[in-house]
Amino acid sequence: MTTARQRIAAAHAPPRVREADALAFLADLSRSLAVSLDLRETLPRTITQVRDFLDVEGIALFLLDAATQVLECKVSAGPVDVTGLRLAVGQGIVGRAVAEDATQLVADASADSRVWRAADETTGFVTRSIVCAPLRTAAGPIGVIEIVNRRDGKPFTDVDAELLDLVAAPAALAINNARMAGALLEQQRLKREFDLARHLQKSLLPRRRRDAFPVIGVNRPAHEISGDFYDYFELADGRIGFVVGDISGKGLDAALLMVRAASLLRWAGKDGLAPSAWLARANDELCETARDGRFVCALVGYVDRAATRVQFAGAGFPPVVVHRDGRYTGHVAGGPPLGILRGIAFESHDVALDGGTFYAFSDGATDVRDAAGQPIGLAGMRALIARHARDTPQARLRGLLGDLKRLRLVDDTTLLLIEAPQAEHPELLLARTLPARAEAMRELRAELRATFDEHGIEPRLRDRLVLAVDEACTNIIRHGYGPECEGAIALRVLRSDATLGIELVDDAPAVDPASIKPGTLGDCRCGGLGVALIDEVMDEWRIEPAEDGCGNRLVLRKRIETWACEEADES
Amino acid sequence: MIGGNPTATNSVSREDGAGFVLVRLSGEVDLSWSQDVRRVVLAAFAGDAAVGIELSAVGYIDSSGIAALVEGLQQARANGRRFALVAPSDAVRAVLELARLDRVFAIVADTDALLASA
Repeated sequence: MTTARQRIAAAHAPPRVREADALAFLADLSRSLAVSLDLRETLPRTITQVRDFLDVEGIALFLLDAATQVLECKVSAGPVDVTGLRLAVGQGIVGRAVAEDATQLVADASADSRVWRAADETTGFVTRSIVCAPLRTAAGPIGVIEIVNRRDGKPFTDVDAELLDLVAAPAALAINNARMAGALLEQQRLKREFDLARHLQKSLLPRRRRDAFPVIGVNRPAHEISGDFYDYFELADGRIGFVVGDISGKGLDAALLMVRAASLLRWAGKDGLAPSAWLARANDELCETARDGRFVCALVGYVDRAATRVQFAGAGFPPVVVHRDGRYTGHVAGGPPLGILRGIAFESHDVALDGGTFYAFSDGATDVRDAAGQPIGLAGMRALIARHARDTPQARLRGLLGDLKRLRLVDDTTLLLIEAPQAEHPELLLARTLPARAEAMRELRAELRATFDEHGIEPRLRDRLVLAVDEACTNIIRHGYGPECEGAIALRVLRSDATLGIELVDDAPAVDPASIKPGTLGDCRCGGLGVALIDEVMDEWRIEPAEDGCGNRLVLRKRIETWACEEADES
Repeated sequence: MIGGNPTATNSVSREDGAGFVLVRLSGEVDLSWSQDVRRVVLAAFAGDAAVGIELSAVGYIDSSGIAALVEGLQQARANGRRFALVAPSDAVRAVLELARLDRVFAIVADTDALLASA
């Protein structure tokens, strides 16, 4: 800048542009460009200001399309409107400024063969003198600013070239800023759209069934949106149809194909066709519309409500695993993926479960890497299943997914499990038999607190639950066994979905449930307070004869909201 | 656990002050010794002093412990005596609230407040 200023001062007597004016103009220009994010509005005004300040006939600003390497005139001011004019990098003086990333000065255009004259020939305009300055950024030139013909008729000089260079700097900065701001807005818009797509996808997955239902699934996308899905539905004949799918590729278009494939597979399975015919029908439909080499891997099938047999067929899907009595059997469900070739036949398979469990997992699960970076494969999945075999189906899927996450998921992962539903298949949190004596209660309370803490029950609720269990036990001690009688209480703490169950079994004389009446809370009389507290803390409790006909079984239940949130997270 | 120390030993003691009797409880008040608590509480009404039950070191109280306090309150009402719970721990307050008894008892911060409460 020092050089330019000195030259401006030295080259002209009197100077064409006074130094003070030049600095004031540049400061003004920088300011107005710096605050502008909408260049469509700012640039035309700026260009005109620059033209008048430099006292030239024509001015034009070209921007470079990085992908095509074509320069296009975005704004111009002067006798000829060249807006929209396109030049290749290297073409004409404009193209040269970008190709060489250097300011170009052509004092006498008529004597220079590099000047591109097409515009002159069609308009009658005569280009006498040209200066082109590249719009420089750290990542290279992003365009060119060009001035044509001084209004005083003289050729451009080095001073004009340097002045234009000074103008080009804030213009380049402003355009770059605006582009980055635009990219940021675009990113935010995309994120909103991805969030929406993820939400929609999640809403397509079936709701988890709370009743005795043999099929459960989990889906964990590796990125914002998933190419995986699972589905299950009931047929009129009582069978349950199930689908697990995996779309090739990633991103929004894969996600859209997933939506289409999921609805198509559900539609094709509603008629109760054999699994092979079901896949063939879905394949023909998908072939009509699938493009870009995308395809769909899927496993479809039926199971009866008691989960005695599973019929299934696969299309490019990893083998399924049946676990029964500690033995694992892999079943390859052959057939190519859907959406590639019309008219393909698939093969139906039929396995008897006999109390075993059927596992299907998308390749996201088997592709998970172990510590050595190798995919864990089917053998790895079997080892993981074995680790969680004793858990309830829901806890097992939760455990499997947790292990896979620790091993680093690289792909969308879907697990589907089929197993005979248990009327009640709760997770045992604590089992303990204690003497029916008041002195045993303190230790029991400590144990209950530790158990509830371990399972994420917040302290306030924990203390209330401990109180309720204590009250239930002391009622058994006082009223069940009475002062003379020695006995024991068998306690079990269970979790079934989001519900905590407490079971207390005694062998005291049978209690008439109608004889147990809660007092009124806030009532200043003794008696019935313990039962009233249990009523207040628990959602539900009941007393019934113990199973072997001797003694009583007291069951308390409470829904735990933090558990409900965990499960909502997983389904 | 909220308030109190679960390892604190169970104890009940009595302090006879100027115009008041203070029954001090600590530990976990449950069925195993709430009858002892009840006896000490009721015995505090032998004279004509105000009675306070100090509960700051109580880590747990069950319905049988609450019942002993309720009996004390009934005794005080029958004899026109001042009666209050002194500095109950969070654990005690939580159970009183759950039982809707937090507004039934007079609750004070210390023995001065007990004497001042009319």
